[in-house]
Amino acid sequence: MSAGPYNYSYIFKYIIIGDMGVGKSCLLHQFTEKKFMADCPHTIGVEFGTRIIEVSGQKIKLQIWDTAGQESWLTDTRNLTNPSTVIFLIGNKCDLEGQRDVTYEEASKFAEENGLMFVEASAKTGDNVEEAFLETAKKIYQSIQDGRLDLNAAESGVQHKPSQPGRNNLSNDQQANKDNCAC
Amino acid sequence: METSDSEYFESADEDFQSDDEDTKTVSSVTKTEEKPNTKCVNDAIKKLEHVQLEDTQEKNSLNNNKKNDKGKTNKEIEDNINSNEITEDLAQIQATKGPGSKLNKVEASHPTSVKKRSKETDVPKKLGAKLSCKDSVAKPPQESPECVKNVDQKQPKESPECVKSADQKQPKSETSNIEENLWDESEIDWGKENEDDLWGNDDDWEPVNEPTVPPQREKIEPAQVKVPSSSSWGSWGTWDVSSIISTATQSVSTLTQGISTVLETGIGVPDPEELAKINQAEKEKLKEIVPDEDTDNSGFGLGNLVMGVSQLTKLVETTGTKVISGGLDTLETIGKKTMEVLQEGDPGLKKKRAFLKIDQDKPVLSQLLREAKEKAEEENKILEEKHFAKKAKNYETLFDDHQGLVHLEALEMLSKQCDIKLQTLLESYTDEALTEMQETMDQVKELCELPDEEEDEHANWTEIKEKLESAVSEISIPISYKKFVETWEETEAWLNNLKLEICDARELHQQAVETLAQLTAIAVEQFHKAGELLLVKEHRSTADEADSLVQLTTTLTSLIGVVAAKFSDKLNTKSSSSKNKEEINSLITNVFFEAANSSSYIQDAFQLLIPVLQVGAV
Repeated sequence: MSAGPYNYSYIFKYIIIGDMGVGKSCLLHQFTEKKFMADCPHTIGVEFGTRIIEVSGQKIKLQIWDTAGQESWLTDTRNLTNPSTVIFLIGNKCDLEGQRDVTYEEASKFAEENGLMFVEASAKTGDNVEEAFLETAKKIYQSIQDGRLDLNAAESGVQHKPSQPGRNNLSNDQQANKDNCAC
Repeated sequence: METSDSEYFESADEDFQSDDEDTKTVSSVTKTEEKPNTKCVNDAIKKLEHVQLEDTQEKNSLNNNKKNDKGKTNKEIEDNINSNEITEDLAQIQATKGPGSKLNKVEASHPTSVKKRSKETDVPKKLGAKLSCKDSVAKPPQESPECVKNVDQKQPKESPECVKSADQKQPKSETSNIEENLWDESEIDWGKENEDDLWGNDDDWEPVNEPTVPPQREKIEPAQVKVPSSSSWGSWGTWDVSSIISTATQSVSTLTQGISTVLETGIGVPDPEELAKINQAEKEKLKEIVPDEDTDNSGFGLGNLVMGVSQLTKLVETTGTKVISGGLDTLETIGKKTMEVLQEGDPGLKKKRAFLKIDQDKPVLSQLLREAKEKAEEENKILEEKHFAKKAKNYETLFDDHQGLVHLEALEMLSKQCDIKLQTLLESYTDEALTEMQETMDQVKELCELPDEEEDEHANWTEIKEKLESAVSEISIPISYKKFVETWEETEAWLNNLKLEICDARELHQQAVETLAQLTAIAVEQFHKAGELLLVKEHRSTADEADSLVQLTTTLTSLIGVVAAKFSDKLNTKSSSSKNKEEINSLITNVFFEAANSSSYIQDAFQLLIPVLQVGAV
């Protein structure tokens, strides 16, 4: 916990999944670079982003897997996640209110039914993007504190080691919504 | 004809008298086949038990007859070996009992159950074959009318349950005339079907059928018969490594048991004179067989099996020479059986070998790098705490900083997915298609063999750039080495503007490591992307892709060499004007060390692409 640029207590792995074109890469880019990528190319396979954040005074490195909008990822995450995985539902492109595909009520009901965290965000304006990633990290951290996540079981220890305290799917998990709040 | 069925039980008696174990074995098999029938079979047994008592005396007289019949019996074996006696028996019963009777139903279901199982796997077929073979072996010549009466009554007593079930009604019904007619019909019905199936696969069993050693053969068969009953060969389609091994061990152990019972109960039965003759030949046979099995089995790691075999050998040896030939026969059969089962639907065991190979714990590169990074970071931390000065990052950390690790991890995932895809495909193929696919895969692998490192130290940047470009254009997927080129050009510019007098050797070293790590990370990233793109590419041309990737790999590694050389040049100049040459020299060594690492990472990343290419090729 001493000084140095590479001192962080945890590494959290995030996976962003969702249909093609919902803005996964843009969300990531907004979060890591604080910029909006206007003409974002198709993601090939997986892209990665990292950012070190602080939760409750602990430095946490977020390692974010930005997936291509492929079917396999969606099914994978449905099947492979364990119950303590934090899933955060992001309705992207909330700046385009006029072309909304999914109502806020519908999305939040879906999130509630499935026990997901939910927020509407915009990668373009940056609204709620930071919050979504940070809230997820807080939830994971809380899970660790509560002992719900067994760090040793997942991988190695905690401090300065790439522990894997849960895959966090910032998932745009439902139908494709090209222009509006992806659900 | 009417005498035949009763008579063979008589000669079966010969074994069963001395060999209760065998009877059990056979009956256990029979049970597995006709569970629902056991009840009625048992009833029949009870009924027949008192008949047994009466017959014990007659047995002795029968033995004489048997001896006379022996020579003929051997002949008969050959003649009858192809016919499925079980079905014949069943047919007989059916005939005796008449349609609609309970027993009849039961028996009628028997052959179908056998057939059903045969579809699942070959083994039950063989089981059927063995059973029939046993019966045929036991079948005495038809023209010994003397025994008929005795036999009729005796049958129930010593014959195994399966035989019993087939014959329960016979002794009492005495309707052999009716039998004969119907029997012929039903024989045609069932016998033919099974015959072909059964013996089509059984060429390997010839030695068992040698008429020279009939008594032992009869002992062996129960052991063989046990195999299918004790282990579920039917599940081979979905086997995994542990199950294959455990099944193998299991069957070996059952076989061992089978042998020991054979050995125990077999003592005294075979004609000692005959045995003595055979002994010598068989001993030599054993020598040939056992090492054979050893090499075959250890080849794919079935250590247990080998142990089992050596156990068997031991067992056979210690039981003495008299019995040896019986054991040897069994042993030979076991060996053949084992190979047969292992090779079933898998010629040359390629599938199994391939499968086992995959399961080997090969170290995962990204994992190793990650661990190295952690270790180095920890060490660094301790160092930092001691002397505040050192802030240098190690290679692995830098590699991770440039997303090299995660891309490597993703590439590994991709590679594994392709591997799984290939394996599933392999498993779905048989025979020719399988060999063909394996050949294709081998060809792809050969295409991907990297040429031995040419000491291409003089390769200049323009050449490398050209090579990179041509390689990328050949592969016809939109991967770009722009980033790679840019990174190197930046570094070159930095080096050219470097004022050696001011620059610290450590700083220079740090820059070298950083450049190497960055270039490697970019290379790995591009390999990852290339893999993803190749998988979605529409028209695959494996040869071109492999060529291009090989060229890329060699070019990239040679560039790494160039980078290392440039940095060490600078460091050398520095060293000549410096006081602490040793330190700088160790830095130079380190640069080359990291360069070698970089090259091997790039090559490893390339290796991970091979399954991707293979998927495209098959």
